[in-house]
Amino acid sequence: MHERLSFYIPRESPLHRANPLTKLVLVFAFILISYLSPWYWTASLLILGDVLLSFVGRVQREYLRTVARLLLPVVGFLFLMQSLFLPYGETEIFSFWFISLTVENIQIAFLNASRIFVMVSSFILLVLSTHPSELMTDLTRRGVPGQLSYVVVSTLQILPQMQAKAVTIIDAQRSRGLDTQGSLRKRIGALVPLVGPLVFGSLVEVEERAIAIEARGFTSGLPKTSLREVADTSADRVARWFLVAITLAVLVSRIWIR
Amino acid sequence: MALVNLHDVTYKYPLTDTPALKNINLQVETGEFVAVIGPNGAGKSTLCYTIAGFIPHFFKGELEGTVQVAGLDTQHATLSQCVVETGLAFQNPFNQISGAKFTVFEEIAFGLENTGVPRQAMIERVGQVMDLTGISELAERSPYSLSGGQQQRVALASILVMEPKVLVLDEPTSQLDPIGAREVFQVVKEMSARGMTVILVEHKVEWIAQFADRVVAMQDGMIIMEGSPADVLTSSLLADSGFGLSRYTQAARDAVSRGLWPEQMRLPVTLQEAVDGFSGLLP
Repeated sequence: MHERLSFYIPRESPLHRANPLTKLVLVFAFILISYLSPWYWTASLLILGDVLLSFVGRVQREYLRTVARLLLPVVGFLFLMQSLFLPYGETEIFSFWFISLTVENIQIAFLNASRIFVMVSSFILLVLSTHPSELMTDLTRRGVPGQLSYVVVSTLQILPQMQAKAVTIIDAQRSRGLDTQGSLRKRIGALVPLVGPLVFGSLVEVEERAIAIEARGFTSGLPKTSLREVADTSADRVARWFLVAITLAVLVSRIWIR
Repeated sequence: MALVNLHDVTYKYPLTDTPALKNINLQVETGEFVAVIGPNGAGKSTLCYTIAGFIPHFFKGELEGTVQVAGLDTQHATLSQCVVETGLAFQNPFNQISGAKFTVFEEIAFGLENTGVPRQAMIERVGQVMDLTGISELAERSPYSLSGGQQQRVALASILVMEPKVLVLDEPTSQLDPIGAREVFQVVKEMSARGMTVILVEHKVEWIAQFADRVVAMQDGMIIMEGSPADVLTSSLLADSGFGLSRYTQAARDAVSRGLWPEQMRLPVTLQEAVDGFSGLLP
């Protein structure tokens, strides 16, 4: 059973040492630039950037594996669908019935796919190299409400617990004769008796958990302190402003070039 | 004045007609260890929530009478003022884990972060309370990977680290295995020995008999009896309330009805008392 839902890989690397906000800014800068840049190959270049960063962060193995298993199939499917079914495009390569493959469509589909690739793969890098509570501690310190960071972090922990509970409930139901095998209809039907205990049980738990965290002064309104110390160096600040500046420059170039 | 002071408290949960607490008067002195017993639905948990300030701040409903903890009128204070005075822990160890933290050490520090304790003091206090509750070796584990008894000690530590004046425990051992229960009870005993005021809801009559200064028996939202463990735990009123007596007391009562146990002799609650009592009967 998983103890928690976290993709964080503890390693010693410049990427791990970087301030979480810097990495978050990097992710959003990459995404914005990939969409705003007027140059066709920007997104592809940023993908290369992500791959290089994964080596810098020494998480290349986990990064490439996640990309191959999760991202490539989705992006590949999107690319295929868009190239085959987009309604515009003139330079036809071949056509069959209502399907027509054109050069323009392939170009658009590739651009869209690579932008989504940048978006997801940058986030993968972030979660691989950043401990969730470090990210939330840093954001809370910068004025993000404590409730929000609680929701994010507790979801990461409580989802695997709920999963385990669902398995227990299913086992209990099966031991009393519930048939969860067989046709799709039967399997969907078998989910119904799971929903009640899982959902209502969780609602009761939410009340107790709310009491437990209130008992520990969660909404005390006092300025919070933090056990975790998150480093924020001047290099981090420079990097952040640099990223913001580049993003703005790309935005300006976009407006200018049009 | 008593540290905990309930004066004529009556409380109804929202959308209910029958009060869960009826005219409760209870005083608990500093350093006292009070055990609360009673059958299910007697209002024991409601009493705990009332003392801790969750009634009326969290559960709403109608509260009459006054509740004072360490001079603080809980009705007119905020919940966060109340929780600083009163530490509350309850049955289910799993639900008391905040879910916001990835290690036991951080989990215990959660309350201190919320109340703005400086980092250095936080580390010291968490270390001390982990020693006290015997969980130092778990510091770097995930709170979710622990056994029930360990989780409950983490929950206790998370409350104790905030240094409350009163510890309110609502059946902290009822969902634990015997070993886990004993470990938790050791901590409670230790805290009481160090002068902490403890209000404990508990079903394990033998423990109460050994460690509580006073026992409060509840039924149907009322306090039906209050006194020393020896008096309350052997009373026939308790036998009729549906809560029941320890089996040693039952055996002795049986012996009384057969004329074996002398009427004026005290009835036993614990195994040791029973052994002493019955061996005195032998010729």
